[in-house]
Amino acid sequence: MPGTPYPKQPMYRIAYTKLTKEQISAKLDPIAQRGPKGISPLATDFAGQSLVIVTDAGPTLSYKFAGNGKLSVAENGGKAVNAGFGALETDNVCLFSHMIPGTQHGYTLVIDRKTKLATVIELWFSGYEDNREVQRQLYYGYVDAGGTPPKARHEVTNRVEGRGYHWRQDNGMETLEYYASSAYSHFVELSRTGGELGYSAPSDYIKLDDDFYLYTRTECEFSGTFTAYVIDMNRSQQMGIRLGFDEGDELHYDIFRGQGDIVGQIAHFEKFEDNSGDPVPAPKDKDGKPIKGARRVYRPIKTMEKLSREEVDKVVKEHSTAFPARTTTGGAAGMSANALPASDFLVGKTFTLRYDHGPVMEYRVEGADELNWRMDGKADWTKARYQAYEVAPGLILFGHLLEGAPNHDGHIMAVDFHQGLVTCYNGFLNTPFFANEAGARTLFGVLEMEGIQPPMFRRHARTTEMLGRCITYSYAPGLVSMHLYSTPNTVSWIIFTPDQHGGLEWCGPGDFVKIRDGIYFMYWLEEACNGTLGTILLNMNIMHDAGIGYNCGTRGLNMSAIGAIVRHAGKFDVDKYFQIRT
Amino acid sequence: MSNNIGSSRRTFLKGGALLAAPIAAASVTAVTFADEGLKARVTQLEDEAEIRRLHQAWLRRVNSGERDVLFDDAVRQVTADHAGAPDQIAVAADGGSAVGHFDHAVALQTALGRDCTLAQMAHVQGHGTVRRTERRQLIVRYLKSDGAWRMDRLEWRTL
Repeated sequence: MPGTPYPKQPMYRIAYTKLTKEQISAKLDPIAQRGPKGISPLATDFAGQSLVIVTDAGPTLSYKFAGNGKLSVAENGGKAVNAGFGALETDNVCLFSHMIPGTQHGYTLVIDRKTKLATVIELWFSGYEDNREVQRQLYYGYVDAGGTPPKARHEVTNRVEGRGYHWRQDNGMETLEYYASSAYSHFVELSRTGGELGYSAPSDYIKLDDDFYLYTRTECEFSGTFTAYVIDMNRSQQMGIRLGFDEGDELHYDIFRGQGDIVGQIAHFEKFEDNSGDPVPAPKDKDGKPIKGARRVYRPIKTMEKLSREEVDKVVKEHSTAFPARTTTGGAAGMSANALPASDFLVGKTFTLRYDHGPVMEYRVEGADELNWRMDGKADWTKARYQAYEVAPGLILFGHLLEGAPNHDGHIMAVDFHQGLVTCYNGFLNTPFFANEAGARTLFGVLEMEGIQPPMFRRHARTTEMLGRCITYSYAPGLVSMHLYSTPNTVSWIIFTPDQHGGLEWCGPGDFVKIRDGIYFMYWLEEACNGTLGTILLNMNIMHDAGIGYNCGTRGLNMSAIGAIVRHAGKFDVDKYFQIRT
Repeated sequence: MSNNIGSSRRTFLKGGALLAAPIAAASVTAVTFADEGLKARVTQLEDEAEIRRLHQAWLRRVNSGERDVLFDDAVRQVTADHAGAPDQIAVAADGGSAVGHFDHAVALQTALGRDCTLAQMAHVQGHGTVRRTERRQLIVRYLKSDGAWRMDRLEWRTL
């Protein structure tokens, strides 16, 4: 039955096979003999040519092309080896790619025939603890045609930072790709997975000249697949290769062309004269020397605390805290350094939050940080510590833990005392993968209180008004990130470097509810990444948010304030790619 | 009220006279060197000069990255605060100790806590610190032993 091919689970939940070197070689050898497979016609002017590429601190590669799909290559003057290859050309730029039979490595080269400059990407398997993750090393050099070598080189750059494209490849693959960082990128697979969630991957950005740029990404933490393509910035076209094993362990080695649409260009924040790239330098060895293939990769699943259900029950019982004192020392507490002041708006009020198809929560608020609640009128009143923030006149964000709830729930609510409406992000633990990882459900309802007549039918509603927007959040000195709302269900976050380049990036599921004009209640789940539920009530009229985080780790269950001064970096126009298709 | 704040020839000449005064004083010192009071004054000036040299040497070590001389792990650079008060060095009457007050601009670097995702990512990319500059007064106690001055205690006061 045709339809949108939604995946059964997000990429960070797929248990990709830990392939052995032997399994990789068995699938790689025939493909290395054949070369990459493509749909578009390949270049036909290689047959009979020879080529020597010299790189700085890298290999010298001597090629002889027996045909337009067969070559021989000698590395550093060694023995020539025959391999299959594929090539594509646009104007003076050509890209060709091959693996070396009998090995697990190969090369993808981008050559500017006019300037004779070349970028060589060496690719190999079995170079990381997960063998399937393709490793890469970039070398910069030139075509040695005799005479004086050129001094110029292709170079890493931030000139592509902030751009977004919709790409449709000749093989039918359709993606949205956001280059909101100079070290990472974010991609949404519209054709392959229905575009529900976007994913983030380490990337390289190389300037060939002002018209052509080279981009790479490695799907680290996922399938390990490597993609590289040249972007023709004027025609919005791409030509590139994709190498890697899919979730079914099939090896793909494709060469493709694609047609793009620019979906937007957001601001970036480096100094105007700073066009540098590679803002997150790779780690070096103990002697300070470069390590081949090294790069900074955010691998959150390796470092996150993982607790069992029993451990969660124990740690919650022993260490549950709500709204600890604010500090400015960085870390989680520092996320509240720029928070709005806590409000006493709720003090002395008695009210009920009645959720559709959900609980009825009654409240008696005694003080600025203490309230009493009960659910569905069934139990005695329970005392809880809370904090409230008046994000706009009569619009309150407040939250508290539900002591005694079997899944250690927390409620975080945006309550509009003018409209009589409430939206609650109900955080809970004991989720299927790691018990301390938060889950969230969204509850819509009304506020019942003396003097307020709530609506019968009207409710807050989910919105796509935030879709494609990029908002920077300045929580405290050194704690600044930018959110990219890449799909109607995804929040991606980018960390800045000290010189304001976009650096590491990651992402998780999210939800977006419109509360008032210019005011949005959103959450993100750090799924497979610390397990935090982050919520923010963003007021774009004052460019400030108020937020509450909900997190469980070895130090206990914690609900805490977060808050930031925000900037609007821009908006990608991507709404049309998320319409329900028939 | 006059808005004229420029120097007149007369004030310049007055300044010239003041500048000439130390030369004249030096001549007097040469003549009456045996005077105990002046001898003590010379000793005091020599002590102050030595303490200044000691302070400058300490600044060079700090700013060349010697962490063990800092007494504060967060301090990365210490430079003169030219908008601050003049340096003050007070040598005790017995000549055995002194206290120096120096206004500085102090560059500090503190590590972000690693207890939230944002900070953890900053550390992974090699940038998990925050730098800031503060105006501070450095108060140093010096001791003299065997004829040589050394730093004894160091204290920062935020201005």
